[in-house]
Amino acid sequence: MTADADRALIGDTGPETGEPPTPPRFSLDMAARRQAAGTDAAVMFEVDDLNVHYGDFHAVFDVSLDIYERQITSFIGPSGCGKSTMLRCFNRMNDLIEGARVTGRLRYHGTDLYGPGVDPVEVRRRIGMVFQKPNPFPKSIHENIAFGPRITGFKGDVDGLIEDSLRRAALWDEVKDKLAESAYALSGGQQQRLCIARAIATNPDVVLMDEPCSALDPIATLRIEELMQELKETYTIIIVTHNMQQAARVSDRTAFFNVQLNERGQRMGRLVEYAPTGKLFTRPDQRATEDYITGRFG
Amino acid sequence: MATPVTTADVVAARLTGRRFRPGELAFEAALLAALLVSLLFLIVLLADILATALPVFRQRTLGFISGELSPTADRAGVGTSILGSVTITAGVAVLAFPLGIGTAIYLEEYAPDTRLTRFITTNIRNLAGVPSIVYGILGFAIFVRFISAVGLGGNVNGRNVLAAGFTLAALVLPIVIITASEALRAVPAGIREAGFGVGATRWEVIRHHVLPSAAPGILTGTVLTLARAFGETAPLLLLGAVTGFFTLGADSSIVDRLTSAYTALPVTVFDWSRQPGEDFRALAAAAIVVLLVILLTANSAAIILRNRYERKW
Amino acid sequence: MTGSQYYGPLLGPEARSHFDEQLSLTRQGLIELGSLVTENLRLAGEAMQENRLDLIPEVRKADLAINERYYELERRTFEILARQQPVAGDLRFLVSATRIVYEQERSGDLAVNCVNMLERLSGFPDLPLLRSLLTQLVDASAHTFQMSVDALESMDPESGVRLDRADNEVDTLVSLFYAEIGKQAETMGLESAIALSRVGRYLERIADHAVNIGEHVTYVVTAEFPKPDHVTPSDRP
Repeated sequence: MTADADRALIGDTGPETGEPPTPPRFSLDMAARRQAAGTDAAVMFEVDDLNVHYGDFHAVFDVSLDIYERQITSFIGPSGCGKSTMLRCFNRMNDLIEGARVTGRLRYHGTDLYGPGVDPVEVRRRIGMVFQKPNPFPKSIHENIAFGPRITGFKGDVDGLIEDSLRRAALWDEVKDKLAESAYALSGGQQQRLCIARAIATNPDVVLMDEPCSALDPIATLRIEELMQELKETYTIIIVTHNMQQAARVSDRTAFFNVQLNERGQRMGRLVEYAPTGKLFTRPDQRATEDYITGRFG
Repeated sequence: MATPVTTADVVAARLTGRRFRPGELAFEAALLAALLVSLLFLIVLLADILATALPVFRQRTLGFISGELSPTADRAGVGTSILGSVTITAGVAVLAFPLGIGTAIYLEEYAPDTRLTRFITTNIRNLAGVPSIVYGILGFAIFVRFISAVGLGGNVNGRNVLAAGFTLAALVLPIVIITASEALRAVPAGIREAGFGVGATRWEVIRHHVLPSAAPGILTGTVLTLARAFGETAPLLLLGAVTGFFTLGADSSIVDRLTSAYTALPVTVFDWSRQPGEDFRALAAAAIVVLLVILLTANSAAIILRNRYERKW
Repeated sequence: MTGSQYYGPLLGPEARSHFDEQLSLTRQGLIELGSLVTENLRLAGEAMQENRLDLIPEVRKADLAINERYYELERRTFEILARQQPVAGDLRFLVSATRIVYEQERSGDLAVNCVNMLERLSGFPDLPLLRSLLTQLVDASAHTFQMSVDALESMDPESGVRLDRADNEVDTLVSLFYAEIGKQAETMGLESAIALSRVGRYLERIADHAVNIGEHVTYVVTAEFPKPDHVTPSDRP
C-alpha cells in the first residue's frame, strides 16, 4: 500500500538514477489523495506546485503535498533546502520579506491562502508560529499571552484564557505565581513554552514550529517534544528541524527536502520524498533520502 | 610538527615565566596619558570659568538668575535669556519630535529598501552634518519672512522666538530622525516577528512592541537633542536674538512675547563676553556656569531615565 | 543496489567514515563466523563419514571459539546500534546482523550435536547406502550453509530465493535418508536408528538456518522479506 501510494503522490523515480521526479499528479479529488496517502485523516492543507522566489533567486521549486489534520508533519533536509521558507508559506510570513514571491496554490480548509482578497493578518491569527530563538515580548508573562487575544477582539475571561494556554503548554505550574513578572526571567526552555502558549492563545488550529528546540538544551528539548505529542490531540503541527532524530521521534509524517542546482547553477529547494515517518526512516524510496538520513551526505 | 612537551617542570617554567611585556605597558600608558590630557583641558577650562564667575555668585546668585538684561553690570541678570532659551527649546520639542520620530518610524518600519529610500536616508545624514550657521541663513530667508508674512512678525519683522523655534527645529530634525531610527533598529527582529506571528497588523506591532521597546533610546536621544538645541548660538545671532538691552512691558500678552524681541542664554554669553571690563567678563563666566549647569542636568536626566527604563526588562 | 557498493568495501582504503568502517567490520565478522561454522560442519562431516571419534574433541573445541565470537559480535553490534542511532538500510543491516549471528551460532551447536550422536553410538553403522546418503546430506547441508556465507559477501537481493531453492534439495535428501533409516532400522537397532534420524534432523535444520540468513540478506537490501512461493511441510525453526 504505502510504497506505491507514496510514490504516486510525489512522482515516480527510479531509486538508482536520482533523476528529478516527474511532476506530481495534481488531483482535486480529496478522497483520492487521502487514499493514495493511506490515511483516513482529513486534509488540513493542500499544497500544489508551490514556488517561492526571493527576487531573482528561486528558493523553492514545485512543491506539492498534503498536510493532515492533528498530525505532526516534519520538514527535514540540509541547509539551504528551503524547508524554513516552505514553512513560512503556511502563514504568509514570507510576505514580510521584501521581494518574496509565492506562486502556486496553498489551500487551507479549501481556501487558497494566496488567493485574492485573503488577509494575511487573519491568516496568522488562525495559523500560529513558534520561532527558532524564543522571542517573548519584553513584557510580563501575562501580557505576552494576553496580547494576541486582545488584538483579535477577545472579550471573554482573559485570565482564564491565560491559564488555559499555559496549562496546555505545560507551563502553568511553573509560572502561576509570577504572571506579572518579566518573561525574560524565565529559562530558555520555559520561554519557548511561553511562546507556544502565546501562539495557542489566539485559538489557532495549526501551530507552525521553525526549529523550536535548536536553541535549547537536551532536557528542555525533550520536554517540548513531549508537549508536542499532547498538543497534537488538538492542533495540527508542522515542524522544521535539522535534527533528524527529533523528526524521527516526534512526527507522524516526514517530508524530505533537498538542494538541487538548476541549469544556472543556483541552489533550489525541492521536495524529494514525503512519507509516514516510520517508513521514511526504515525503508525510504529515494536514494537521496537514504543518503541524507544515514548521514552519507548533507 | 613538534610533539608537545609535557614534563611537569618544563610546563611550569613556560607558564610562569615571561610576565613582563613592555609593549603592552607602553600602549596602556599612552592611552592613559591621552585620557589625562583630555581631562586636563576640561578641568583647566572649568576651573578658569568658575574662578572668573565666582564674584558674581558671591554677590547675588538669585538676583543674577532671575534678573533682566541691563546695561549696568551690577543689575544684569540672565532671567530673560533663560526664558527665551526655554521657549525656543520647547518649540523645538513640539515641532521636531513628532515629525522626526514619525519620519524615523516610516523609514525603518514601512519604507521598502529601494534606491529612493537609501537616497533619502543618506541625505538626512548629510543634513545632520551641515554647520548650524547655514540653518541660520535658511531660517532667516524662509521662516522669518514667512512669519512676518502671516502677520506674526510682531514689531521685529519676524525675528522672534517663533522663527527661532522653527529654525532650530529644522536644525535638530535630522539628528532626531537618526537617533530615533537607530533606537528602532536596535529593537530585535524577533519581537516584530513574534508580533506578526500572533496576527498583529504592522501598526499594532509598532505601537505595542517596537515603540515601547525603542522608547528608552528615543527618550535619551530626545533629551540630548534638546540639550544641543539649548546651546545653539550661531543661528540665533542671525535670527535677531537681541544682544543688547531690551525689555517687554510687564503686561504684554503671550502673543506679544512670542512675536516680539527675544534673546537666548548662549547669545547673552556671546554679548557679555564682548563687553569691555572686568564686570562683564565675570557676568559672562557666570552665565556660562548657568548654561553648563542646565546642560549637565539635562544630560544626567537622560542617563538616569535610560538606566531606569533599561533595567526594567 | 548491490551489496558491496551499498555497504562499503570491506575495509578498503575507500572506507568513508568511522561508521562505515564499523559496518564493514560487522559484515566481515559475520562472514568469518559463518566460515568457521561451515568449516566445523565439514569437520563434523568428516568425523561422521569415517567414524573418526578422535575428531570429536576438535569439533567441540572449535565450537567454543565460535560461541566466543558470537558473543563478541553481538555485543559489538548492540553497541553500534546504541551509539550511532542508525536508520534505514544501516538499521536493517545491524538488526539483521544480530539475527544472522544467532542463526550461525545455532548452526554451530547443531554440528556439535551431530558428533555427540556419533560419540553416543561410538561410530555409525557400516551400511553403505546409508553412509552414502549421509555423506550427500552432510555435503548438501554444508554447501547450503556456505551459500549463506557467500550471500553475506555478495549481499545479493536474490539470496533468499536462491537459498530457499537449495534448501529444497536438502529436504529431499533428508526424506531419502529417513526412508533408508526406516528400511535398515531392524538391522542397526533402535538406538542407532533414533540417533541417525536425529542427525538427519540436525543437518536439515542447519540448512533452514542458512535459508533464514539468506532471507535476512534479501530484507537488508530490498527492505522486504521474500515471499514464500511454496509452503514447506517440514517444521521451520
